[in-house]
Amino acid sequence: MEPTPKRRPGELVFNIAIMLASFGLLYSAYGISGFEALSAPGAVPMATTAIMVVCAVVILRQTLRKGADTSQTMAADILPLIVIVTIAMIAAYAVLLRPLGFLPTSVLFLLVMVRFLSRRGWGFCLAVSVGTVFVIWIIFRLIFAVLMPQGIIPEGRIVSAITSLF
Amino acid sequence: MDILSNLLIPIVNLDLLMLIAVGTFAGIYVGAIPGLSVTMAVSILISFTFSWEVYPALALMIGIYMGGVYGGSRTAILLNIPGAPSAIATALDGFPMAQHGRAGEAIGIVTVVSFIGGFIGIFALGAFAPLLSDFAIGFQPRDFMLLAIMGILLVGSLSGDSLVKGIFAGALGIGVGAVGMDPLTIQDRFVFGISELRGGISFVAVMIGLFGVSEALIQLHSIHTPAVRQKITGIIPSWSKVRKHLPLGLQTSTIGTIVGALPGTGGDIAALMAYDHAKRVTRNPETPFGKGAIEGLVAPETANNAAVGGAFIPMLTLGIPGDAVTAIMIGALFIHGLNPGPMLMIEQPDMFWFIVSSLALANVFMLIFGLTGIRLFVRIVELPRTVLLPVIMVLSIVGAYAVNNSLTDVYWMLGFGVLGYFMRLYGYPLAPIILGVILSRLLDDNWRRAIISEREDFGAMMMGIFTSRCRCACSWRW
Amino acid sequence: MRHFVYGAAVVLGLAMPAMAEYPERDIQGIIQWGAGGSTDTVSRSVTPHAEAVLGAKVILQNVTGGVGAIGLNQADRADADGYTLLFGAENPLLYKVMGLGEKDYADFVPINVIARGIPILVAQPDAPFDTFPEMIAYINENPGEVRFGSTGPGGLPSVVTAMINDKTPIDVTAVPYDGDGPALTALQGGAIDVMPAVLGAALEPVRAGNLKAIAIFDSEGVEQLPDVPAITDTNPEFADLLPWGPFFGIFAKAGTPDDVVAKLTDAYGQATQNADFLSMMEGRGFRMLSLTGAEAQEFLDGWQSQTAWILYDAEIAKNSPEDFGISRP
Repeated sequence: MEPTPKRRPGELVFNIAIMLASFGLLYSAYGISGFEALSAPGAVPMATTAIMVVCAVVILRQTLRKGADTSQTMAADILPLIVIVTIAMIAAYAVLLRPLGFLPTSVLFLLVMVRFLSRRGWGFCLAVSVGTVFVIWIIFRLIFAVLMPQGIIPEGRIVSAITSLF
Repeated sequence: MDILSNLLIPIVNLDLLMLIAVGTFAGIYVGAIPGLSVTMAVSILISFTFSWEVYPALALMIGIYMGGVYGGSRTAILLNIPGAPSAIATALDGFPMAQHGRAGEAIGIVTVVSFIGGFIGIFALGAFAPLLSDFAIGFQPRDFMLLAIMGILLVGSLSGDSLVKGIFAGALGIGVGAVGMDPLTIQDRFVFGISELRGGISFVAVMIGLFGVSEALIQLHSIHTPAVRQKITGIIPSWSKVRKHLPLGLQTSTIGTIVGALPGTGGDIAALMAYDHAKRVTRNPETPFGKGAIEGLVAPETANNAAVGGAFIPMLTLGIPGDAVTAIMIGALFIHGLNPGPMLMIEQPDMFWFIVSSLALANVFMLIFGLTGIRLFVRIVELPRTVLLPVIMVLSIVGAYAVNNSLTDVYWMLGFGVLGYFMRLYGYPLAPIILGVILSRLLDDNWRRAIISEREDFGAMMMGIFTSRCRCACSWRW
Repeated sequence: MRHFVYGAAVVLGLAMPAMAEYPERDIQGIIQWGAGGSTDTVSRSVTPHAEAVLGAKVILQNVTGGVGAIGLNQADRADADGYTLLFGAENPLLYKVMGLGEKDYADFVPINVIARGIPILVAQPDAPFDTFPEMIAYINENPGEVRFGSTGPGGLPSVVTAMINDKTPIDVTAVPYDGDGPALTALQGGAIDVMPAVLGAALEPVRAGNLKAIAIFDSEGVEQLPDVPAITDTNPEFADLLPWGPFFGIFAKAGTPDDVVAKLTDAYGQATQNADFLSMMEGRGFRMLSLTGAEAQEFLDGWQSQTAWILYDAEIAKNSPEDFGISRP
């Protein structure tokens, strides 16, 4: 055990959210089949969500007993800007993946992220992003025939053009 | 004499030998890259090797299988992203080792013990296949349920500081595993009217999110700390070190072989059970578990490679797949005009011995390819994080997408990545979630089958457990 | 060289409007069921022959879940240009009555209905009955004792059990499994007593004596198991329900240009006649159909109406087939 752990910023909110979500899931599990039978499809979900609720309540009690840690702040230790930006970037990537296609989205994502994190020259960032995406594309698309969203670049025709050369 | 000549087929035919080598090499990378799975690679090979003879086709598939199961440990150790579900337990101690500059040592020992585990599984296949398949096939729903409950109890050893948080995480995992349309009753569970949720939440997306993405987000906090220099000595483990862990390895290989032979359970469950076993029997590890214990690498990696040989046991004796990969191989045998079933060993014993010896060769190639190039691999961890982290994120997204060609899985990956990030910050262990997801169906389905078989009579089912095979088999552990 | 110039032009981003004939790029094939299953094996073994005729690759991927509905919806979301094919089984025809979705094969054009599986009733080797009438008699003497394997509502076992109930009501305990593979494994391990399965999956264990065949659930026997009677031999009352069986087919989205459909139909028509493919299908106990065009559509409609009504009458289906304009056979 750590010596008298302190409550971190946001911990209380997180644990309350977890508890509320557990209650919601228990309600949803009850809705599957109620107390119909031991073999009902809702039996195990109800049991597990009930365990979640009990645990969440215990965790919340423990959290409330702890004193707040005043040496840490939300912005510095829990959600610094860099984390928020990264999460937003991944979300943007997922949103753009279908309309733009795999190749441009990935290059763009890497370009911005590497630049943002490393602050090195654009040339370096471009080389890293194009190189990485090219290698991933070769492995996934050409070797293992995983079709990524095509988007604005007519990948399918490029591949058949390449294969028809042989 | 027949057996010997059949065993020699892949050894004396240079082209078969080459195919096994190529397959094993490719398998290591398939296994290492999250999102590419052995199942996927072997399915593709079905069409690819369609016009081939059956021996070369199988040789390639067997190589990929053996290499792939091993390969999952690479990214688990280096990046904390298990390349495959069976390498989850490996990440628990492997990644902390990498963070202390011992990635090379970790990969070295993993390679050697994978070889040992693989060999024991193959030996069991060659020597005791009929015996073990009789045992495996007799497993009743209540036995599987018991196995799942034993698995769930591992939450205790995966929980770290807070048991109650571990139990919460385990229950959450079981809930996540239940999402979607229940195949037994076609009833929706936790679907909330969203049709994409009908198919469930992709397990690999959850895994990549919880391990890969949340780890990457955590590392952003210390983005400008220079990467840990990796030691490049002591990569190939000394004989005394191997011998020290051999007793444990033999026990966990046995667990792996048996769990692998059971239809419906495979290397992922085997590895986690073996990890738990290691924690139980190791009195004084040099480094505590979860911080870089060698035992924490030996156990899961022997078990998941032993499960390969195990999975072939019911396949070759009865035509019943031991896991997803052997299921596809059964399809491949059909396509090549064979009839895999109980008669295969009688009508075509050559196939059995050919597979045994191909597996053994793949195992040897795995050792060779595994031990070469480690120095190059550990350099990955030394790349500046400012470059490595974005690349990991792209790989995570591509991996999550590739599993089922679904953008929904990418969102799940991100969702679980963010959830995992907060859970890490607030002291929740993440491994129990994965454990719950893996065991969810095994527990839920078999609980229902067991209770339905006894016509809802709970008492009768509990009585049945006292005579259960699983209980007999497992009681030696307690 | 011409290819190279064209390829180079494309690479440079000067993609011209599609002038080349179909197919000018890889085709995506979505398999509704998981790797290693029957649908997967059949799809993957017929496709290489069709690729040879088409002169293009068909990239197959398994999109599983929701009794195949996830894969079907994904194929339905793609453009109707023939570059996305659906490799499916019979299940979508029951989605509407089972309340599993709004889409089914009515939103697709059949390219080829490849083959049909033959249902067979199998039991543990030491079951105290050998024939179908003996089994019914035993079940009636021991109500609720006999455990039937099932694969969830709407699967083959549930339809066959519903057909049996339609003629002679029986009281059995249905134990659900996720697929006939796991259920047959459980049967061999003694966890269940009887299983209505598809012939191909049960053939090998029956031949080895690990399972006992009770009856072929079809209007005629099969050459793979000459000693096993057809159900209509002992119980002619089943004749009006048979033949019935699960099937596999290849589909393109409705609205795909006719010439593309014709090309695909021709390619897969030739592929299903390939000798290797035929012998594999026979070995797995499937009855070849290779239906195309109007014939295929007629088969699908007939199958849907018959099965949907059986399930509705057995109170397994949630919705009445009438709501969807499916008439009683």
